[in-house]
Amino acid sequence: MQQSDFDILVVGGGGAGLRASIAAAEKSPHLNIGLVSKVYPMRSHTVAAEGGAAAVTLEKDSFQAHIEDTVMGSDWLAEQGVVDYFVRHAYQELVQMEHWGCPWSRKEDGTIQVRRFGGMKVERTWFAADKTGFHMLHTLYQTSLKYSQIQRLDEFFVLDLLVVDAAVAGVIAIEVATGELHLLRAKSVILATGGAGRLFRFNTNGGIVTGDGMALAYRKGVALRDMEFVQYHPTGLPGSGILITEASRGEGGIMVNKDGYRYLQDYGLGPETPLGKPENKYMELGPRDKLSQAFWQEQQAGRTGKYGDSDVVYLDLRHLGEKYLQERLPFISELAKAFVNIDPAKEPIPVRPAVHYTMGGIMTDAKSETSIKGLYAAGECASVGLHGANRLGSNSLTELLVFGRLAGEQAAENADNKDFAALPTLQEQAKLVQKQLATLNDRTSGESWVEIKKELLKTMEEGCGIYRTQAGMEETLQTIRELRKRYQSVHIQDKSKVYNTEFFMCLEVGFGLDIAEATCLGALERKESRGAHQRLDEGCTSRNDQDFLQHSLVYYQGKEAARLEWQAVDTSILPPAERAYGDAAKSGEAAKGAK
Amino acid sequence: MSYRPTLTRTWWLKNTAFKVYMLRELTVLPLLFFLLCLVKGLYSLSQGAEAWYLWLAVMQNPLVMLINTLALLASLFHAWTFFQLFPRVMPLEFGGKKVSAPALVAGQWAGVLAVFALVAWLFWG
Amino acid sequence: MELEVTIQRYLPEQSSEPFNQSYTVPYDTSTSVLDALTYIKEELDPTLSYRWSCRMAICGSCGIMLNGKPMLGCNVFLRDYVQTGMLIEPMAHFPVERDLIIDMESFLTHLEAVKPYLISKDSKESVQSFDPHNQTPRQLDKYQQFSSCINCGLCYSACPQFGLNPEFIGPAALTLAHRYNLDNRDAGQAERMPMINSEEGAWSCTFVGYCSEVCPKSVDPAAAVNQSKVTSATDLIFSLLGGRS
Repeated sequence: MQQSDFDILVVGGGGAGLRASIAAAEKSPHLNIGLVSKVYPMRSHTVAAEGGAAAVTLEKDSFQAHIEDTVMGSDWLAEQGVVDYFVRHAYQELVQMEHWGCPWSRKEDGTIQVRRFGGMKVERTWFAADKTGFHMLHTLYQTSLKYSQIQRLDEFFVLDLLVVDAAVAGVIAIEVATGELHLLRAKSVILATGGAGRLFRFNTNGGIVTGDGMALAYRKGVALRDMEFVQYHPTGLPGSGILITEASRGEGGIMVNKDGYRYLQDYGLGPETPLGKPENKYMELGPRDKLSQAFWQEQQAGRTGKYGDSDVVYLDLRHLGEKYLQERLPFISELAKAFVNIDPAKEPIPVRPAVHYTMGGIMTDAKSETSIKGLYAAGECASVGLHGANRLGSNSLTELLVFGRLAGEQAAENADNKDFAALPTLQEQAKLVQKQLATLNDRTSGESWVEIKKELLKTMEEGCGIYRTQAGMEETLQTIRELRKRYQSVHIQDKSKVYNTEFFMCLEVGFGLDIAEATCLGALERKESRGAHQRLDEGCTSRNDQDFLQHSLVYYQGKEAARLEWQAVDTSILPPAERAYGDAAKSGEAAKGAK
Repeated sequence: MSYRPTLTRTWWLKNTAFKVYMLRELTVLPLLFFLLCLVKGLYSLSQGAEAWYLWLAVMQNPLVMLINTLALLASLFHAWTFFQLFPRVMPLEFGGKKVSAPALVAGQWAGVLAVFALVAWLFWG
Repeated sequence: MELEVTIQRYLPEQSSEPFNQSYTVPYDTSTSVLDALTYIKEELDPTLSYRWSCRMAICGSCGIMLNGKPMLGCNVFLRDYVQTGMLIEPMAHFPVERDLIIDMESFLTHLEAVKPYLISKDSKESVQSFDPHNQTPRQLDKYQQFSSCINCGLCYSACPQFGLNPEFIGPAALTLAHRYNLDNRDAGQAERMPMINSEEGAWSCTFVGYCSEVCPKSVDPAAAVNQSKVTSATDLIFSLLGGRS
């Protein structure tokens, strides 16, 4: 086993991990920082984000407005102090990205261009065509090369966190290329490992989005918060689930059912806005949860079309014209041509909802620290409390900058005032992991991880989809618990050391099972409908602030069933009110004015 | 542990793009021949009438004529590849607007025609 | 419908030589090569190793040689190879680690060597200055295409010069250098020129042009590299004249 020391270890090389690394390097240049990632940083899933990053930019906009949109979008389950911090630091982070070379799209006069986005009452989404995540990730990756103190450990897979006396002490990782085990000692550890969209069969996520970091922290006793809130993006391509950005609606695209009818007006998002004149928070610019739910209703009513085996609705962009599409939405035009053989300038794109984002995650305080001292989490893997029950599009790219930076700075501060843990204790922990791996490796027969994975994906889709029922969730939870038992005798065929990808995929399934249990348990216990969590069973079909204006916290209990607790929500800025879009919001505004 | 495949001498036979590339580079051979002929011609001219007529006779040899025709075709082909690549290497702007690639290519051919016309006028005009 | 897919395998712990193995894979009109690899891994042979993630041609993980041509596995479909059949090999010109996994180190080293980040005009610019630079759409347009590289490395597999000399900085890295040189916010050209002027820099390129043909993002690295030659030549002439160093 190899051993090395780092002042700070950042696990995950996506947007949040890179931003954290740079922030730490700038804050305390003398610290040595290890950036551990199971893939090369530019493969991280930040790369696939398309639409943009939100920050209050225009004269007519205000912090208060961005706070209101985010809190309303979250169905009042966001931590409002956190939202406030986020909104106030968003702009400077996007400017920082600009100073690092991010090719933001511009207006004729050379200033920053902003676009409309779902659930936002003012245009405030910065973008780089429809490859914003790609450009941000590459800008961050390239900028990180300036800092010699950031040492990358590319293609290292983290197996476990090292914790001594409720403080983090490092990680145990395997070098994918050689199969060699590494004990990486650290004073601070930042988890920036992304979401867990791959728990569902039909998703917009890359194959690496398996929730590893969430499981690492969860297994060490950190709560997973609000895991029941899983975002379905309303426009994924049928078959693959490939993402068609919300920006296509921000730019004026419309959604129609098989009869060519703009059905969103029937779901509290109307009245219909004229073609080519999108209006903020109306129709296609409603929030993602509402749009995905509207799809489900249309599907039940038999008004969806067919593409292959999939029920679909249609995203019509034809009126935007070829030239505008090439300028603003080149990537999705390319994707539609390649993957469903449709030219969006000529035909509507068939789409359906697909799992896109994990609102919940590793619980942290407002400064990104978890309940384990020196362990931080940022980005999609974290639940700092920004998104509540539903995330607004373009808030997450900014989130990974704002909280990546914060986590990096906090980690640096912690590392500056701390010593390494004593090696012998850590080596003991490492030996334990080594033993577990040997057991897995030596097993010559047993359960197939492929079968377990397939059953997991299937049951998650059945029980924890867009609409949920008590019976469905109970069955799914039961299945997950059985699968966890079966996983204890899982077996892999590949016994080699060099790039044993079967081994890592098998471990990812193990992580996924634990997170799935937390997700399903949270969903089952939340006996109301809020944001992305919608139930069909009696007494649970509407929001219930009396009992559930609370975060769910799920705690790992080893082989036993996970345990759930509730945590109060910070509503210090905006008291809970009705969540309404379209014209329906106007009556709400009027009521507020009267008050 | 890793193994590194090495390129064989015939690497360029593996795909069309490489063959076209080699063909483009090979145009240098007939052109070289033409150039040698030209130099020899100039030298012969300085050596008096006899040498000059001998050179002219050699130039009329069918094989030499064939190779020089080949050189003409080769130079046209090379020019074509060069003209095609030019807009990508030297994107030009005119009046604040990008000049389109076809316009740049056409401009270069127009230049060639102009030179032809000039030469024709000099010799036959 | 089924198609036979042949894959070049390499298992360093078993043999020092690669070998070919064929699998029969079911497919429909939307089955990509990456889908086929996933099918093989999950249903037929879990020992097959390859890199992948986004499956939407933006993460740059899944480069392969398909019938001798560099491609992204996610972006090419079995339906188009029914007549010709399919031979999948690891990306050319790189050392092979296992099966379809190549060693990316040389690629990353070259990328880092060109200082691919904005070198600011002001010596110490940080988040304290709150204003974004001005950059008109025309100024953006100058470099935007060259900023679309996903670092998949296909252009290196298409480049015989890199195949013959792995020290050649190569298309993607030179393109990235050129991207920053063309950015009106950047002042780092002088720092990047020595690398571009060097023997392993732009002049190693003989404009085969195949790199641009295989680029899945239409970045046109050949154009960037050869524009760099123009910059490099100008730079050299100036330095010879003593006008600029």
